[in-house]
Amino acid sequence: MLIFRKPLENIDRPQMPADVVIVGGGPAGMACALRLSQLIDQHNSQHPDAQLSKENIYVLEKAREIGQHCLSGALLDPRSMRELLPGFEKEAPLDAEVSKESVYFLTRKGKFKFPITPPPLRDHGNYVISLNRFVKWLGSKVEAAGITVFTGFAGSELLFDGDRVTGVRTDDKGVDKQNQPKSNFEPGYDLHAKVVILAEGTRGSLTKRLITKFDLAKDRNPQTYGQGIKELWEVPAGRIAAGEVIYTMGWPLTTKEYGGAWIYGGKDNIVSLGFVVGLDYPDPRLDPQHVLQDFKQHPLVAKLLEGGKMIRYGAKSLPYGGWWAIPPVAGNGWMVLGDSAGFLNSQRLKGIHLAIKSGMLAAEAAFDALKNDDSSARALSGFQKRVESSWIKDELWKVRNFHQGFEHGLWTGMFHAGIQQFTGGRGLRNRYPGTAGHQHMQKLAELPADGGAEAHLLGPAKGDGKLTFDKLTDLYHSGTKHEEDQPAHLIIHDTNICNTRCVKEFGSPCQNFCPANVYEMVDDAEQPNGKRISLNSSNCVHCKTCDIADPYQIISWVPPEGGGGPNYDGM
Amino acid sequence: MPDTILVVVEQREGKLNRVSWETLTAGQSIAAETGWTLEAAVVGNSVSSFAGEIAAKKVTKVYAVESPKLEPYTPDGFAAALKQFLESRQPKLVLMPHTYQVRDFVPKVATAMGRTAVSDCVGYKKDGSKLLFTRQMFQGKLAADVSFACDAPWFVTLQNGAFRGDKVEAGASAAPVETVKVEIADGVIRNKPQEVFKEAKQAVDLTQAEIIVSVGRGIKEQKNIELAKELAEALGGELAASRPICDSGWLPMDRQIGSSGQTVAPKLYLALGISGAIQHIVGMKGSRTIIAINKDSEAPIFEIADYAVVGNLFDIVPPLIEEVKKAKAGS
Repeated sequence: MLIFRKPLENIDRPQMPADVVIVGGGPAGMACALRLSQLIDQHNSQHPDAQLSKENIYVLEKAREIGQHCLSGALLDPRSMRELLPGFEKEAPLDAEVSKESVYFLTRKGKFKFPITPPPLRDHGNYVISLNRFVKWLGSKVEAAGITVFTGFAGSELLFDGDRVTGVRTDDKGVDKQNQPKSNFEPGYDLHAKVVILAEGTRGSLTKRLITKFDLAKDRNPQTYGQGIKELWEVPAGRIAAGEVIYTMGWPLTTKEYGGAWIYGGKDNIVSLGFVVGLDYPDPRLDPQHVLQDFKQHPLVAKLLEGGKMIRYGAKSLPYGGWWAIPPVAGNGWMVLGDSAGFLNSQRLKGIHLAIKSGMLAAEAAFDALKNDDSSARALSGFQKRVESSWIKDELWKVRNFHQGFEHGLWTGMFHAGIQQFTGGRGLRNRYPGTAGHQHMQKLAELPADGGAEAHLLGPAKGDGKLTFDKLTDLYHSGTKHEEDQPAHLIIHDTNICNTRCVKEFGSPCQNFCPANVYEMVDDAEQPNGKRISLNSSNCVHCKTCDIADPYQIISWVPPEGGGGPNYDGM
Repeated sequence: MPDTILVVVEQREGKLNRVSWETLTAGQSIAAETGWTLEAAVVGNSVSSFAGEIAAKKVTKVYAVESPKLEPYTPDGFAAALKQFLESRQPKLVLMPHTYQVRDFVPKVATAMGRTAVSDCVGYKKDGSKLLFTRQMFQGKLAADVSFACDAPWFVTLQNGAFRGDKVEAGASAAPVETVKVEIADGVIRNKPQEVFKEAKQAVDLTQAEIIVSVGRGIKEQKNIELAKELAEALGGELAASRPICDSGWLPMDRQIGSSGQTVAPKLYLALGISGAIQHIVGMKGSRTIIAINKDSEAPIFEIADYAVVGNLFDIVPPLIEEVKKAKAGS
């Protein structure tokens, strides 16, 4: 019997007042904390008689250490960092400035190199970074500024008073599989905050509840997502220069799936490579981790990696939906940043600089709120206005219809992208509609039994142990660890659907789209189809794909006991 | 008359808990700073010998709070005895070590007296006339200084290791010991203590086993674990498992081998129906001889096995048990 995590009821919880609570210590949350600290320092030096305190500003981070759940390609567009910390290049951990880029269209064995790099993929002036190292560095700045980062603490609930968000409850620690307190039980804290800032990353669990409760997705396009699977490799010297960037389209995907790969040359012969698959593919048997394994077998990639060693693995979802899918980002007592809001440029495959900028703008609104002791919806709408008059909007407006154009396949997508390029992002109309990705998934009965043109992408990858890996081996390299004796944090609202309908209709796609083998259909003679859903929750890499891609939308990802999760050193 | 600090030392089953010295050190230190009187108490049945031991330290007085009903320990009994004693003595501050036993009865005494207990403190501060106690929050990230808003007695428990037990000061001469008999009416003690549960450090130490029979998913059903157990017994080895088996609760967690369990290196490791995911391999690859039985000839376990048996474990294990028994009987 699966028992799911939920905050314990009828217990006394420690109550703590706070000025600002930022949920999530990624680039958005850390930039927000740092900017807020700068504004307070500035204010305090000008107003010796009206000092503001930083003591009650907290960042909650579910990872055991800062940055350990941060994963990205990553290329950093330095625009926002130059605004936040002028001259940051001198001290930030940057691998290399991009020196060369190429874009390929791949067929199974062949490749076609784009004669010129399409403008959105021109990356001169950007930096190859490890987001993990970068955020560690940014986090050390935040801590040095006197702001407390609670690592190992997740935001598990929002506290409300009517239509106002009044705080955040942290995770209960020391709860066993049956949802009963263990001898080391520690109840979650209720942090009562003037301003709650959600910077949880893609598909944040609190953000999701906020959007549902206040119907914030109304009149917006549905958010659409991709899943990025990444491996970090150490390769023999001379294969790729630090700062060299390769993008590919095409194989192993067919024209029905949206996605592509990146290869970035880092320092010390480290290569970051990965594949992003749009979570709007039609065949439920598709396995994104398998896609990456296929990709590595292409001669272009195999040659690069031969004799090298895979050193780390990870996966993360990213929001593709663009400008029309971004919900209102401020309300009564709350603001939403970065990937949680959907600030990502899907044409340039970049979101870090936007996450940072959104954090900085939210900090300005939070600062005003503290100064005027007013964090009402009207006061915090300053953040909404700042976003709309900043370069965030300029950048996202130009690509507002980009991903929607690809909803009907690669060729129509290229057509729309081309027209949009010449019409300031408009294309054939000002706002292209969008469809939630999971609605594109087709039932097995509608698909060729042998998989057709997609056959090579379906089902689990085998792995040769050198160039390619099965999922469990890859997963091992994510360094994922959780306390085993805790309730499942993947909440399936109705497991009957898994056991009776999904297994027949879609063939249990959770087993395929989960990059960490969390979901497993195990034999059970008592079930009508002989299979029962089982969860290996402690494998979870916190990518949120299940919450996004499940065709029945019955899975809610919530944070497990704080401190658990992947260990993305160097990712 | 100055206020009094009372340290309640802990005795269990005829032994003084060493952590009591830490509490006494804290009491001496607070007494020195506040000028309050320091007294100690020990609770139980015929505990005057402990009282004597305590009296050698720098305290003004030691009480042996006694009743035959305090043996064995029960939370009801201790709470009733302490409440009676504290109401007659009226100390300002009651210090105790933050032990399991104290955690068991202190909330009860404090609630019964309408007071607050500040638990698991790591230090104290004197701020003017105010006495502040430091508690850790957010797993030690924050230290909160708290003070009492309620009337005395104030209950404080101290974290193990927060004060140095070896720094407890001896007294110039032995302090007087007073035995206080408390009356515990019939019916007050509702608890019926069982034998004290001692959590075994580890019920089974697989790292010391020379032979390990380990089962994986191939065992199919919980009842089939018996088969592996029989083989382990025949070989004189220990039973272990891969994660899914322990996750299903078919074997306890302390028998799990792999990255989230134990790492072992026995002379012989017999893997029954274990596919050999890397998460398992890292926990047993140092074994001297590995025998793997698996239906799937491509199972990764065979890559590190010294003997690979491709076949159904249910066909192979029963005759294997017979052979092992025969061989052992013959030798």
